[in-house]
Amino acid sequence: MSSRSEAFQAKLQRVSGKIGENRYLKSVSEGLLLALPVIIIGALSTLIANINITAYQDFITETGLKGVLNLPAQVTISLIALYAVFCIAYKLTTFYKQDGVVAGIIALISFFVLTPFLVVDDATTIPVEFLGAQGLFVAIIVGLLSARLYVFIVESGWAIKMPPGVPPTVEKTFAGLVPGILIVILFTIISGLFKLTSFESAHEFVYSFVQAPLQNIGGGFWSMIVLILVVHTLWLFGIHGTLAILPILYGVWIPLGLENLDAIAAGNAPENIVNTGFLAIAIIIGGAGATLSLSILLTFFAKSKRYKTLGKLAIVPGIFNINEPMIFGLPIVLNPYLAIPFILAPLVNGIISYTLMNLGVFPLVNGLHMPVGTPVFVNSILAGSVMLILLQAILIVINIFIYWPFFKIIDKKALDEETTTADA
Amino acid sequence: MKNILLVCAAGMSTSMLVNKMEEAAKGSEEEIKINATSGGDLEKYVQDADVLLLGPQVSYLKGDYQKKYDSIPVEVINSLDYGTMNGQKVLDWALDLIESK
Repeated sequence: MSSRSEAFQAKLQRVSGKIGENRYLKSVSEGLLLALPVIIIGALSTLIANINITAYQDFITETGLKGVLNLPAQVTISLIALYAVFCIAYKLTTFYKQDGVVAGIIALISFFVLTPFLVVDDATTIPVEFLGAQGLFVAIIVGLLSARLYVFIVESGWAIKMPPGVPPTVEKTFAGLVPGILIVILFTIISGLFKLTSFESAHEFVYSFVQAPLQNIGGGFWSMIVLILVVHTLWLFGIHGTLAILPILYGVWIPLGLENLDAIAAGNAPENIVNTGFLAIAIIIGGAGATLSLSILLTFFAKSKRYKTLGKLAIVPGIFNINEPMIFGLPIVLNPYLAIPFILAPLVNGIISYTLMNLGVFPLVNGLHMPVGTPVFVNSILAGSVMLILLQAILIVINIFIYWPFFKIIDKKALDEETTTADA
Repeated sequence: MKNILLVCAAGMSTSMLVNKMEEAAKGSEEEIKINATSGGDLEKYVQDADVLLLGPQVSYLKGDYQKKYDSIPVEVINSLDYGTMNGQKVLDWALDLIESK
């Protein structure tokens, strides 16, 4: 490696490291990950309630079982903003080494303060419209803002000081009180101000001016292309590309997926092709660079000992979408032979999958965010359709063809090296 | 007892390397404890560690961690050893790092 490319690499790592390590962005992505069990419980309930067999559907609709099966989804996915606001505030506060639970509760109160209540036939109700995916951006903003204020107030020492001799537990109870009151007053004022505008609530405003436009841009075809290019270019320089841009990716693509799950739970068709589930299932099969195909080539077609051994080592983790052995062991990092297929394969996958789903040939993914390590094919089933297994299989074959010529070059080189060393 | 801590993005691929290193450590006379963690949970484990090793994909964190945990050596694992999961080599290197502290 020349010193020039080394310097460039170091610079790139610093920049992407700064994005990935930013406390606020990280709180958003780690907070949403903390809420992942909630999302998975809801997704499984939607999955079971929506198995597409007519006899089964008739049965559960007639017996009223469908409502029961959907219940976990209604209290998880359809209320996801409530879980998210707590988890995000909790994460940010913990970064500052303060009590995350207290800050999380204050954030939850603040979120409710901003949410409009409705009186219908003398009954006071909370519309769930903004407690699900549509309220996620307000949850992110409120979670970050109230947690940061909490930290600021506590660090400024404005908390109630108890006289000496008061048990620490009592002191702790009151410590959250001053920041809590101040923060809730602030959000009450904000809520009141929004009532005066034509938006009527902070939710309407944030949804129509921030969330919807961001999702429109971020969920589009070209954003997907740009994202694939950025992630894979970073990986080629040895940087965990997905991790580096994770906060941005998660902030937009997880809500898009949640909208799908929300739609399915409500009995509607999902609309967002692009989301984190789509990325895992239909683009990076086997990890970044869609390298499951390459590990198949190495394992079954490599003539050189070096690559055959590596293939055997890499193929099993590859099925679980973990491909560090390929990226660093082959290596793919700074490898001029593999740079082209490494970018081309996921790009082709994205274009084909997007087009075929857009045409209705394959169903859209249900939007579930796949936990790290969910195996190939199993993630298709979790995404709501066995048809997606077929799509994955087709894409893997296409990827094998994309990697093939480049694989032959490196394999031949390695074989030549092995025979020369053996001769010498 | 010696305590080696590895950190990567999600703690997934490092835990594979940990398995290989543990295999290699069986032959050693000394008791060696090896753990893998993700960046988020690092704080919990780092107090007990004698050496902190970073996966190559998070090498950009080295500077920060060196400043934060200046009492122990903080180094990035050689990416080829990491990729080929060469547990023996990484283990020997880690023990050298502890020795030369």
